[in-house]
Amino acid sequence: MSKLKIGKYKEADSMSNLICQNYPALLVLSRFEMKLGFKDKSIGEVCNENNVDTKTFLAIINLLLCDDINHDCSNYDLFAPSLILYLHNSHDYFVNYRLPDIREKLKNALTQELKDLNKAVLYYFDEYVSEVRKHMSYEEEIVFPYVRSLIEGKKKIKYNIGIFIKQHNQIEIKLTEFKNIMIKYYETESTNEINNVLFDIFNCESDLAVHNAVENKLFVPAIIEMELKKSGKKP
Amino acid sequence: MNVHLNIIIAEPSVIVRTGIVSVLQQLNISNAKISEIEDAEQLRNILGRQKYDILIINPIISGFFSLQQIKKESINNEMKYIALQNSLIDNFVLKNYDEVISLYDSVEHIKEKINNLITVSEQAVSNESLTTREKEIIVCVIKGMTNKQIANELCVSMHTVISHRRNITTKLQIHSTAGLTIFAIVNKLVELDEIKNSQQR
Repeated sequence: MSKLKIGKYKEADSMSNLICQNYPALLVLSRFEMKLGFKDKSIGEVCNENNVDTKTFLAIINLLLCDDINHDCSNYDLFAPSLILYLHNSHDYFVNYRLPDIREKLKNALTQELKDLNKAVLYYFDEYVSEVRKHMSYEEEIVFPYVRSLIEGKKKIKYNIGIFIKQHNQIEIKLTEFKNIMIKYYETESTNEINNVLFDIFNCESDLAVHNAVENKLFVPAIIEMELKKSGKKP
Repeated sequence: MNVHLNIIIAEPSVIVRTGIVSVLQQLNISNAKISEIEDAEQLRNILGRQKYDILIINPIISGFFSLQQIKKESINNEMKYIALQNSLIDNFVLKNYDEVISLYDSVEHIKEKINNLITVSEQAVSNESLTTREKEIIVCVIKGMTNKQIANELCVSMHTVISHRRNITTKLQIHSTAGLTIFAIVNKLVELDEIKNSQQR
């Protein structure tokens, strides 16, 4: 019998219960490169076996499921690299898997006869994907190297997280707009294919929102703390 | 119609607050976003930053600083104010609010009260149909013309072009040129050939 769970997920809770009760948590597992098939092991045990920092894992899970931003990751030298691994794999998922997959399904679901319109639809989608690519590669090429240099205490990179905060936009908004335009203006039979791609877009939208929340509510505050510590403003 | 309804509840008691949220959820208001706030300080901070359509507030909270002051600090001048009455309050205080909900109101009753407020505010939102001028501007935009070029072409001021574009965005809820292109093709405002050059930028 499983124990009654009240409130946030904890280290001793069963990993399979977590997944069965909240299937979006599967995405977190794959971003930490964790293996499935955990039998009755606890969250902590599975994390240890996969060399994943349990506290970071729980911080993301509890943000995802309860919108809870209070975590006990005080060791930023461990927390920050774990978050970077998570965010990097998440970028890879959107740019190299999720969005191309949606494009393929979209292309196949469009009505053949609406040639001009289809071109405009795919143009919108492609433009969106290249924006996402740009947004994410900025983080990969500028922000992550900067954070790594903070952790290692190596040579200074002229950057601060304030620059990132100022320009970090909600990348899912344009996808939401795309979906609304399709629903409102794309006159077509309601086929399984079009439903399928719309369901995927709805899902992708909320995945992107969670991804953004991890960046804004966990990653950024951690980097701010690290910067304060480094500058000696905080012990 | 793309109407979002942002509701904020300011009430110190978590039990009462959660109760109101639950009743509002039962009303099935589409596109409603409900936020909760427990004290005056938080309320002050958030009203200056975010736009809300309806504030449901325990008059005890606003008692700390008057309703007039809240109205002054809110960035949405058209926000509706509903007093949440859970104790005996002087009518003199309540008359400043747009509506009063009592703790003992039925779900039906609350529905009616909120509905009355929303219908009023919905009328203020202009309808979605575009004017001829706005359609002309959409065509110019998707051909890749700048605001200045559009102003010259249509013999109007830049300021007019900008305000037309703002109205188009509000009516259609489309913020990008690529999105306007889809709209224009569906509504036969243009043929793809006409805009090919701008698309292949």
